[in-house]
Amino acid sequence: MDKKEEILRLFPGKLREILGQVPGNFEDIQEIRLRAGRPLLLVKGNEEFFLSLSGKPVTAIDRAVSITASQIRETVEYMGSYSLYAFEEEVRRGFLTLQGGHRVGLAGQAVLESRPGAGYGQIKTLKYISFLNVRIAHEKKGCASKLLPLLQDSGKIQSTLFISPPRCGKTTILRDLIRLVSDGGPSFSGMTVGVVDERSELGACCQGIPQNDLGMRTDVLDCCPKADGMMMLIKTMAPQVVAVDEIGSEEDFRAIEYARSCGCRLLATVHGDSIEDLKEKPILKRLVEEKTFSRYVVLGNLPLPGTVLQVYGRDQSLLYGNPAEKRTEKRPAGRISL
Amino acid sequence: MKAVGAICLILGASGFGWHLASLWKQRLALLGSLRQLVYFLKGEILYSHATLAEGLSQAGRKGGGPFGELFLEAARRLEQRDGTPFSQIWQEEAGKVKNLPLAKEDWEKLEALGSSLGYLDISMQERTILLYLEQLDETIRFLKEHSRERCRLYMSLGVMGGLFLTIALL
Repeated sequence: MDKKEEILRLFPGKLREILGQVPGNFEDIQEIRLRAGRPLLLVKGNEEFFLSLSGKPVTAIDRAVSITASQIRETVEYMGSYSLYAFEEEVRRGFLTLQGGHRVGLAGQAVLESRPGAGYGQIKTLKYISFLNVRIAHEKKGCASKLLPLLQDSGKIQSTLFISPPRCGKTTILRDLIRLVSDGGPSFSGMTVGVVDERSELGACCQGIPQNDLGMRTDVLDCCPKADGMMMLIKTMAPQVVAVDEIGSEEDFRAIEYARSCGCRLLATVHGDSIEDLKEKPILKRLVEEKTFSRYVVLGNLPLPGTVLQVYGRDQSLLYGNPAEKRTEKRPAGRISL
Repeated sequence: MKAVGAICLILGASGFGWHLASLWKQRLALLGSLRQLVYFLKGEILYSHATLAEGLSQAGRKGGGPFGELFLEAARRLEQRDGTPFSQIWQEEAGKVKNLPLAKEDWEKLEALGSSLGYLDISMQERTILLYLEQLDETIRFLKEHSRERCRLYMSLGVMGGLFLTIALL
């Protein structure tokens, strides 16, 4: 099954028909955005475009096909295999992970749990889901191969933090790095890797089995909160390396400290532009100051997502790249091109 | 010749009566097996939080029989993700086993189950399934309660009808 067919299978009836007529193989499509009463939008590379009813990319908004609320409802039900009850936790957290590792972001009206005398509590679920962001997973085997030697010391992987804004390929590079570290190579032996995949983005597990290749020595704890998952994996699976995506909370910090004290190496990602950016955030600042990580990799999206801009060492010494370089271009507002 | 004809007529009419009685029993047995499958499905959904496809597939495999096939086929088509809504898949697959001796109301209730399954949260699934089980129980109770008298009635009517026709034709 090619990429296009795989993505089309995520959509029901009419939408599938429209998307099926889009030229190209969908390899470089990053997002498909659906908003009730708004045009269907595709994000390809760093640009976005509308689609006409016949699936042709168009620039004029009046020729673009508009998505209805019922189409969104049908799409959500279809994507959830008519079993949204089985994904209550995911819906509560605003996303669904689909077969192939593609992730759908959901937004609508939050239903809050009311607690007597304590006002409103946590989000119980989402209703009137009217906005969908289908983020297409891209498993790019080998994309971290060139980076690996920079992250090793005497053949051992060092604790590494990937820093970049969204859509710069952090997760894709982390996924491949996990695979490489787990499988090992001619000059280094493979290590046991424990992956806490809170949003099923790394392994894209379907019924507990990773759809993406995470290597032969990798154990995956799927849909588990990062902090709890890290503790659990360390206690039960004895990993030499622990990998998590998108750290940032106080609990994550504590779990990372625990993993470190147990002698585990860490592979993690975080949203940000640079090390300086991390230092402005209290929790992440502590990670940098306490030298939790021995490597910091800053990624950009120009010319392509996953471009390594800089690699820093434990003491923030530059190991690779130009410190002044910032190649992260935000998508120009309103720009439509193909 | 007349005697042979009369015997054939009586045997045929009695056979028809026997057939009606057997349909009654078959309906009862089929609804019983369907109830068991729905109980399996309820377990899969409520306790394992299985998706509809997983639940139908597990229940179908465990339960077997013609309705087990219906469950398995519906699950297979759901997993195939061909863009068809579940209610349509269910209706189409239920249509394939409509040769089974069930009453119109049984089919209507079974089809209605397909259009409400999967809607909203887990407690809604529970209520939907429990409602259907309640309806099934009522039908099964009625069939059981009236089984003996109906079977006797069909058999007697068959024999009597045969005799009556024989006499009338002679």
